[in-house]
Amino acid sequence: MGCAPQPTHQDMKIILPDQGTRVIERGPVSVEKMLHELRINPLEVIVSRNGTLVPENAVVGADDEIRIIRISHGG
Amino acid sequence: MGRKKSPVDPPVCSLCEAPAVMNQQYSRRSLCSTHFINDVEERVFQVIEKKKMIRAGDRIAVALSGGKDSTALLLLLALHLPKWQDVSLIAVTVDEGIHGYRDETIRAAERVAENVGVEHSVVSFQDLFSDNLDTLLKGREEQACTVCGILRKKALIEGAKKVRATKIATGHNLNDEAQSVLMNVLRGDLPRLVRNSGIDTADSFLPRIKPLAEIPEKEVASYLFVKGMFLLLPECPYRGFALRADVRSMLSGLEHRNPGTMLRLMESRKKIEKYLEWEKVSGPLHRCRQCGDPCSGDLCQVCRLLLSLAR
Ligand SMILES: [Zn+2]
Ligand SMILES: [Zn+2]
Repeated sequence: MGCAPQPTHQDMKIILPDQGTRVIERGPVSVEKMLHELRINPLEVIVSRNGTLVPENAVVGADDEIRIIRISHGG
Repeated sequence: MGRKKSPVDPPVCSLCEAPAVMNQQYSRRSLCSTHFINDVEERVFQVIEKKKMIRAGDRIAVALSGGKDSTALLLLLALHLPKWQDVSLIAVTVDEGIHGYRDETIRAAERVAENVGVEHSVVSFQDLFSDNLDTLLKGREEQACTVCGILRKKALIEGAKKVRATKIATGHNLNDEAQSVLMNVLRGDLPRLVRNSGIDTADSFLPRIKPLAEIPEKEVASYLFVKGMFLLLPECPYRGFALRADVRSMLSGLEHRNPGTMLRLMESRKKIEKYLEWEKVSGPLHRCRQCGDPCSGDLCQVCRLLLSLAR
Protein backbone atom coordinates (compact mmCIF):
# COMPACT_ATOMS: atom_id res chain seq x y z
CA MET A 1 0.00 0.00 0.00
CA GLY A 2 3.08 2.23 -0.26
CA CYS A 3 1.83 3.82 -3.46
CA ALA A 4 -1.57 4.87 -2.06
CA PRO A 5 -2.13 8.63 -2.33
CA GLN A 6 -1.64 10.57 0.88
CA PRO A 7 -5.08 11.43 2.32
CA THR A 8 -5.90 15.11 2.18
CA HIS A 9 -8.11 16.71 4.78
CA GLN A 10 -11.40 15.95 3.06
CA ASP A 11 -10.68 12.34 2.27
CA MET A 12 -12.33 9.23 3.65
CA LYS A 13 -10.17 6.17 3.95
CA ILE A 14 -11.91 2.84 3.37
CA ILE A 15 -10.25 -0.42 4.31
CA LEU A 16 -11.88 -3.11 2.20
CA PRO A 17 -12.61 -6.72 3.19
CA ASP A 18 -9.69 -7.93 1.06
CA GLN A 19 -7.41 -5.66 3.15
CA GLY A 20 -7.00 -3.30 0.23
CA THR A 21 -7.33 0.39 0.95
CA ARG A 22 -9.17 2.99 -0.98
CA VAL A 23 -9.08 6.70 -0.28
CA ILE A 24 -12.09 8.47 -1.72
CA GLU A 25 -13.07 12.06 -1.84
CA ARG A 26 -16.62 11.89 -0.80
CA GLY A 27 -19.10 14.03 1.03
CA PRO A 28 -21.06 12.54 3.91
CA VAL A 29 -22.65 9.23 2.90
CA SER A 30 -24.60 6.59 4.79
CA VAL A 31 -22.90 3.27 5.43
CA GLU A 32 -25.71 1.59 3.52
CA LYS A 33 -25.13 3.73 0.43
CA MET A 34 -21.38 3.30 0.61
CA LEU A 35 -21.74 -0.51 0.74
CA HIS A 36 -24.26 -0.39 -2.10
CA GLU A 37 -21.78 1.53 -4.24
CA LEU A 38 -19.13 -1.05 -3.44
CA ARG A 39 -21.63 -3.83 -4.26
CA ILE A 40 -21.32 -5.33 -0.80
CA ASN A 41 -24.28 -6.93 0.97
CA PRO A 42 -24.45 -5.26 4.41
CA LEU A 43 -25.45 -8.59 5.97
CA GLU A 44 -22.11 -10.10 5.01
CA VAL A 45 -19.93 -7.49 6.67
CA ILE A 46 -19.60 -5.34 9.74
CA VAL A 47 -18.41 -1.78 9.42
CA SER A 48 -16.40 0.26 11.88
CA ARG A 49 -15.63 3.96 11.90
CA ASN A 50 -12.39 4.89 13.63
CA GLY A 51 -12.54 1.57 15.43
CA THR A 52 -16.17 1.75 16.57
CA LEU A 53 -18.96 -0.36 15.12
CA VAL A 54 -21.57 1.66 13.19
CA PRO A 55 -25.05 0.73 11.93
CA GLU A 56 -26.03 1.03 8.26
CA ASN A 57 -27.87 4.31 8.75
CA ALA A 58 -24.82 6.03 10.24
CA VAL A 59 -23.37 8.75 8.06
CA VAL A 60 -19.66 8.65 7.46
CA GLY A 61 -17.45 11.12 5.68
CA ALA A 62 -14.40 13.30 5.78
CA ASP A 63 -11.53 12.26 8.02
CA ASP A 64 -13.15 8.97 8.90
CA GLU A 65 -11.30 5.73 8.70
CA ILE A 66 -13.84 3.13 7.66
CA ARG A 67 -13.12 -0.56 7.94
CA ILE A 68 -15.31 -3.10 6.19
CA ILE A 69 -14.87 -6.58 7.67
CA ARG A 70 -16.22 -9.69 6.01
CA ILE A 71 -17.86 -11.94 8.58
CA SER A 72 -18.29 -15.20 6.70
CA HIS A 73 -16.67 -18.03 8.56
CA GLY A 74 -14.66 -21.07 7.69
CA GLY A 75 -15.95 -23.68 10.07
CA MET B 1 -28.92 22.32 23.29
CA GLY B 2 -32.20 22.02 21.40
CA ARG B 3 -30.36 21.79 18.09
CA LYS B 4 -32.38 20.49 15.16
CA LYS B 5 -31.62 16.89 14.21
CA SER B 6 -29.63 16.75 11.01
CA PRO B 7 -29.08 13.67 8.87
CA VAL B 8 -25.43 13.71 9.91
CA ASP B 9 -26.35 13.22 13.57
CA PRO B 10 -25.31 9.75 14.63
CA PRO B 11 -28.16 7.25 15.03
CA VAL B 12 -28.90 6.64 18.71
CA CYS B 13 -30.04 3.67 20.77
CA SER B 14 -33.81 3.06 21.00
CA LEU B 15 -33.40 2.37 24.73
CA CYS B 16 -31.02 5.17 25.74
CA GLU B 17 -29.29 8.14 24.14
CA ALA B 18 -25.96 6.49 23.42
CA PRO B 19 -24.77 6.10 19.80
CA ALA B 20 -26.20 3.01 18.11
CA VAL B 21 -23.89 0.27 16.89
CA MET B 22 -26.54 -1.99 15.37
CA ASN B 23 -29.91 -1.84 13.64
CA GLN B 24 -32.08 -4.85 14.29
CA GLN B 25 -34.41 -4.86 11.34
CA TYR B 26 -36.68 -7.55 12.72
CA SER B 27 -37.15 -5.79 16.07
CA ARG B 28 -37.15 -2.31 14.49
CA ARG B 29 -34.67 -1.15 17.08
CA SER B 30 -31.28 0.47 17.06
CA LEU B 31 -29.06 -0.51 19.95
CA CYS B 32 -25.97 0.97 21.60
CA SER B 33 -23.08 -1.30 22.48
CA THR B 34 -24.29 -1.90 26.06
CA HIS B 35 -27.89 -2.64 25.11
CA PHE B 36 -26.85 -4.72 22.13
CA ILE B 37 -24.56 -6.90 24.25
CA ASN B 38 -27.28 -7.30 26.88
CA ASP B 39 -29.77 -8.20 24.18
CA VAL B 40 -27.62 -10.97 22.67
CA GLU B 41 -26.69 -12.38 26.07
CA GLU B 42 -30.28 -12.35 27.24
CA ARG B 43 -31.66 -13.95 24.06
CA VAL B 44 -29.14 -16.77 24.13
CA PHE B 45 -29.97 -17.47 27.76
CA GLN B 46 -33.70 -17.47 26.96
CA VAL B 47 -33.26 -19.96 24.11
CA ILE B 48 -31.25 -22.29 26.34
CA GLU B 49 -33.92 -22.10 29.06
CA LYS B 50 -36.90 -22.33 26.72
CA LYS B 51 -35.56 -25.42 24.97
CA LYS B 52 -34.18 -26.88 28.21
CA MET B 53 -30.81 -27.33 26.55
CA ILE B 54 -28.84 -27.50 29.78
CA ARG B 55 -29.65 -29.44 32.94
CA ALA B 56 -28.06 -29.97 36.32
CA GLY B 57 -25.22 -32.48 36.07
CA ASP B 58 -24.37 -31.60 32.46
CA ARG B 59 -20.79 -31.47 31.30
CA ILE B 60 -20.95 -29.56 28.04
CA ALA B 61 -18.35 -30.07 25.34
CA VAL B 62 -18.24 -26.77 23.48
CA ALA B 63 -17.11 -27.28 19.90
CA LEU B 64 -14.46 -24.58 19.58
CA SER B 65 -13.01 -24.08 16.11
CA GLY B 66 -11.53 -20.72 17.07
CA GLY B 67 -13.78 -18.98 14.52
CA LYS B 68 -16.26 -16.30 15.47
CA ASP B 69 -19.33 -18.46 16.12
CA SER B 70 -17.71 -20.94 18.44
CA THR B 71 -15.77 -18.18 20.19
CA ALA B 72 -18.99 -16.27 20.85
CA LEU B 73 -20.66 -19.49 22.01
CA LEU B 74 -17.92 -20.23 24.53
CA LEU B 75 -17.96 -16.65 25.84
CA LEU B 76 -21.74 -16.75 26.26
CA LEU B 77 -21.86 -20.16 27.92
CA ALA B 78 -19.02 -19.22 30.29
CA LEU B 79 -20.85 -16.00 31.12
CA HIS B 80 -24.10 -17.77 32.01
CA LEU B 81 -22.45 -20.77 33.65
CA PRO B 82 -22.90 -19.53 37.26
CA LYS B 83 -26.68 -19.52 36.68
CA TRP B 84 -26.79 -23.29 36.28
CA GLN B 85 -26.26 -25.70 39.10
CA ASP B 86 -23.67 -28.39 38.79
CA VAL B 87 -22.84 -27.73 35.14
CA SER B 88 -19.32 -27.64 33.71
CA LEU B 89 -17.84 -26.68 30.35
CA ILE B 90 -14.96 -28.07 28.35
CA ALA B 91 -13.87 -26.72 24.98
CA VAL B 92 -13.13 -29.31 22.31
CA THR B 93 -11.27 -28.39 19.13
CA VAL B 94 -11.10 -30.68 16.11
CA ASP B 95 -7.80 -30.49 14.22
CA GLU B 96 -8.66 -31.66 10.69
CA GLY B 97 -5.13 -31.05 9.53
CA ILE B 98 -5.74 -28.33 6.95
CA HIS B 99 -2.44 -26.76 5.99
CA GLY B 100 -2.13 -22.99 6.27
CA TYR B 101 -5.44 -22.68 8.07
CA ARG B 102 -5.88 -24.82 11.11
CA ASP B 103 -2.71 -24.02 13.04
CA GLU B 104 -3.61 -20.39 13.46
CA THR B 105 -7.22 -21.08 14.39
CA ILE B 106 -6.15 -23.67 16.96
CA ARG B 107 -3.93 -21.10 18.62
CA ALA B 108 -6.87 -18.68 18.62
CA ALA B 109 -9.03 -21.38 20.21
CA GLU B 110 -6.43 -22.02 22.91
CA ARG B 111 -6.28 -18.35 23.78
CA VAL B 112 -10.07 -17.99 24.00
CA ALA B 113 -10.42 -21.02 26.26
CA GLU B 114 -7.66 -19.72 28.48
CA ASN B 115 -9.25 -16.26 28.58
CA VAL B 116 -12.56 -17.57 29.90
CA GLY B 117 -10.89 -20.14 32.14
CA VAL B 118 -12.35 -23.19 30.43
CA GLU B 119 -10.46 -26.46 30.05
CA HIS B 120 -9.46 -27.20 26.43
CA SER B 121 -8.96 -30.45 24.57
CA VAL B 122 -7.85 -31.05 20.96
CA VAL B 123 -8.75 -34.13 18.93
CA SER B 124 -7.20 -34.70 15.50
CA PHE B 125 -8.21 -36.48 12.29
CA GLN B 126 -4.71 -37.89 12.27
CA ASP B 127 -5.27 -39.69 15.58
CA LEU B 128 -8.82 -40.81 14.83
CA PHE B 129 -8.69 -41.65 11.13
CA SER B 130 -4.89 -42.05 10.77
CA ASP B 131 -4.69 -39.31 8.12
CA ASN B 132 -5.22 -35.58 7.98
CA LEU B 133 -7.90 -34.01 5.80
CA ASP B 134 -5.46 -32.75 3.17
CA THR B 135 -4.23 -36.30 2.57
CA LEU B 136 -7.69 -37.85 2.69
CA LEU B 137 -8.89 -35.36 0.09
CA LYS B 138 -6.13 -35.74 -2.52
CA GLY B 139 -7.84 -35.83 -5.89
CA ARG B 140 -11.33 -35.30 -4.54
CA GLU B 141 -11.10 -31.73 -3.30
CA GLU B 142 -14.56 -30.95 -4.62
CA GLN B 143 -15.99 -33.25 -1.92
CA ALA B 144 -14.08 -31.41 0.79
CA CYS B 145 -16.97 -30.02 2.80
CA THR B 146 -19.00 -33.22 2.68
CA VAL B 147 -16.05 -35.39 3.73
CA CYS B 148 -14.88 -32.91 6.34
CA GLY B 149 -18.39 -32.37 7.69
CA ILE B 150 -18.97 -36.08 8.28
CA LEU B 151 -15.55 -36.71 9.79
CA ARG B 152 -15.60 -33.57 11.91
CA LYS B 153 -18.94 -34.52 13.41
CA LYS B 154 -17.55 -37.93 14.28
CA ALA B 155 -14.33 -36.43 15.66
CA LEU B 156 -16.31 -34.05 17.82
CA ILE B 157 -18.38 -36.90 19.25
CA GLU B 158 -15.24 -38.91 19.99
CA GLY B 159 -13.55 -35.84 21.47
CA ALA B 160 -16.56 -35.20 23.67
CA LYS B 161 -16.73 -38.81 24.81
CA LYS B 162 -13.06 -38.72 25.69
CA VAL B 163 -13.62 -35.85 28.12
CA ARG B 164 -16.79 -37.53 29.47
CA ALA B 165 -19.16 -34.83 28.26
CA THR B 166 -22.93 -35.32 28.49
CA LYS B 167 -23.74 -32.93 25.63
CA ILE B 168 -22.14 -31.17 22.71
CA ALA B 169 -22.77 -27.47 22.08
CA THR B 170 -22.07 -26.03 18.63
CA GLY B 171 -21.97 -22.42 17.44
CA HIS B 172 -24.42 -22.68 14.54
CA ASN B 173 -26.10 -19.31 14.06
CA LEU B 174 -29.40 -18.41 12.40
CA ASN B 175 -27.76 -18.08 8.97
CA ASP B 176 -26.17 -21.53 9.25
CA GLU B 177 -29.48 -23.03 10.25
CA ALA B 178 -31.42 -21.33 7.47
CA GLN B 179 -28.75 -22.39 4.95
CA SER B 180 -29.08 -25.99 6.10
CA VAL B 181 -32.85 -25.92 5.72
CA LEU B 182 -32.57 -24.60 2.19
CA MET B 183 -29.78 -27.02 1.26
CA ASN B 184 -31.74 -30.01 2.52
CA VAL B 185 -34.77 -28.85 0.56
CA LEU B 186 -32.62 -28.43 -2.57
CA ARG B 187 -31.24 -31.93 -2.07
CA GLY B 188 -34.64 -33.40 -1.30
CA ASP B 189 -33.31 -34.71 1.99
CA LEU B 190 -36.38 -34.76 4.21
CA PRO B 191 -34.90 -36.76 7.11
CA ARG B 192 -32.03 -34.36 7.48
CA LEU B 193 -34.30 -31.37 7.04
CA VAL B 194 -36.19 -32.17 10.22
CA ARG B 195 -33.45 -33.88 12.18
CA ASN B 196 -31.30 -30.94 13.13
CA SER B 197 -33.54 -28.88 15.32
CA GLY B 198 -33.67 -28.56 19.06
CA ILE B 199 -31.86 -31.26 20.95
CA ASP B 200 -30.67 -33.72 18.38
CA THR B 201 -29.73 -37.27 19.32
CA ALA B 202 -30.22 -38.91 15.94
CA ASP B 203 -26.69 -40.02 15.25
CA SER B 204 -25.04 -40.48 18.60
CA PHE B 205 -25.84 -40.94 22.23
CA LEU B 206 -24.62 -37.44 22.90
CA PRO B 207 -27.30 -34.81 22.48
CA ARG B 208 -26.24 -31.71 20.54
CA ILE B 209 -27.40 -28.21 21.42
CA LYS B 210 -27.18 -25.01 19.34
CA PRO B 211 -27.67 -22.04 21.66
CA LEU B 212 -26.93 -19.45 18.91
CA ALA B 213 -29.43 -20.87 16.43
CA GLU B 214 -31.69 -17.82 16.69
CA ILE B 215 -28.96 -15.18 16.45
CA PRO B 216 -28.18 -13.80 12.97
CA GLU B 217 -24.57 -14.14 11.86
CA LYS B 218 -24.07 -10.40 11.68
CA GLU B 219 -25.05 -10.08 15.33
CA VAL B 220 -22.67 -12.84 16.37
CA ALA B 221 -19.83 -11.01 14.60
CA SER B 222 -20.93 -7.64 15.99
CA TYR B 223 -21.12 -9.07 19.50
CA LEU B 224 -17.51 -10.21 19.30
CA PHE B 225 -16.39 -6.96 17.69
CA VAL B 226 -17.97 -4.84 20.40
CA LYS B 227 -16.38 -7.06 23.03
CA GLY B 228 -13.01 -6.55 21.33
CA MET B 229 -12.72 -10.25 20.50
CA PHE B 230 -13.27 -10.30 16.75
CA LEU B 231 -10.26 -11.83 15.05
CA LEU B 232 -9.47 -11.89 11.38
CA LEU B 233 -8.50 -15.49 10.77
CA PRO B 234 -7.59 -17.27 7.55
CA GLU B 235 -10.52 -18.76 5.67
CA CYS B 236 -10.74 -22.47 5.09
CA PRO B 237 -9.06 -23.13 1.71
CA TYR B 238 -11.78 -25.63 0.78
CA ARG B 239 -14.81 -23.47 1.43
CA GLY B 240 -15.45 -22.44 -2.19
CA PHE B 241 -16.20 -26.02 -3.19
CA ALA B 242 -19.42 -26.37 -1.27
CA LEU B 243 -23.04 -26.00 -2.33
CA ARG B 244 -23.25 -24.07 0.91
CA ALA B 245 -21.21 -21.22 -0.57
CA ASP B 246 -23.90 -20.65 -3.23
CA VAL B 247 -26.76 -21.06 -0.80
CA ARG B 248 -25.07 -18.68 1.63
CA SER B 249 -24.78 -15.77 -0.80
CA MET B 250 -28.21 -16.44 -2.29
CA LEU B 251 -29.81 -16.44 1.13
CA SER B 252 -28.05 -13.32 2.36
CA GLY B 253 -29.17 -11.55 -0.81
CA LEU B 254 -32.75 -12.64 -0.19
CA GLU B 255 -32.58 -11.67 3.46
CA HIS B 256 -31.24 -8.24 2.56
CA ARG B 257 -34.04 -7.54 0.09
CA ASN B 258 -36.74 -9.30 2.15
CA PRO B 259 -35.85 -9.06 5.85
CA GLY B 260 -37.24 -12.02 7.79
CA THR B 261 -36.62 -14.59 5.04
CA MET B 262 -34.38 -16.71 7.26
CA LEU B 263 -36.82 -16.69 10.15
CA ARG B 264 -39.67 -17.71 7.83
CA LEU B 265 -37.55 -20.55 6.50
CA MET B 266 -37.04 -21.79 10.05
CA GLU B 267 -40.78 -21.48 10.66
CA SER B 268 -41.59 -23.66 7.68
CA ARG B 269 -39.27 -26.33 8.98
CA LYS B 270 -41.02 -26.20 12.34
CA LYS B 271 -44.36 -26.71 10.62
CA ILE B 272 -43.13 -29.63 8.54
CA GLU B 273 -41.67 -31.17 11.67
CA LYS B 274 -44.94 -30.83 13.53
CA TYR B 275 -46.97 -32.78 10.99
CA LEU B 276 -44.37 -35.34 10.17
CA GLU B 277 -44.22 -38.87 11.45
CA TRP B 278 -40.57 -39.25 12.14
CA GLU B 279 -40.53 -43.07 11.88
CA LYS B 280 -41.96 -42.96 8.39
CA VAL B 281 -39.30 -40.54 7.21
CA SER B 282 -36.22 -41.96 8.82
CA GLY B 283 -36.98 -45.67 8.62
CA PRO B 284 -36.04 -47.97 11.48
CA LEU B 285 -32.82 -47.32 13.32
CA HIS B 286 -30.01 -49.85 12.87
CA ARG B 287 -26.54 -50.25 14.27
CA CYS B 288 -23.50 -49.88 12.06
CA ARG B 289 -21.95 -53.33 11.64
CA GLN B 290 -18.48 -51.81 11.76
CA CYS B 291 -18.60 -49.41 14.70
CA GLY B 292 -21.99 -49.94 16.35
CA ASP B 293 -23.15 -46.33 16.01
CA PRO B 294 -26.84 -45.78 15.40
CA CYS B 295 -27.58 -45.33 11.69
CA SER B 296 -30.26 -45.91 9.08
CA GLY B 297 -28.55 -48.59 7.00
CA ASP B 298 -26.00 -51.33 7.29
CA LEU B 299 -23.00 -49.04 7.68
CA CYS B 300 -22.94 -45.58 9.24
CA GLN B 301 -21.96 -42.52 7.19
CA VAL B 302 -18.49 -42.38 8.70
CA CYS B 303 -17.61 -46.03 8.10
CA ARG B 304 -19.00 -45.86 4.56
CA LEU B 305 -16.93 -42.75 3.89
CA LEU B 306 -13.72 -44.16 5.36
CA LEU B 307 -14.18 -47.30 3.26
CA SER B 308 -14.61 -45.28 0.08
CA LEU B 309 -11.61 -43.07 0.89
CA ALA B 310 -9.41 -46.11 1.50
CA ARG B 311 -10.07 -47.29 -2.05
ZN1 LIG C 1 -28.63 1.92 24.80
ZN1 LIG D 1 -19.86 -47.08 11.60
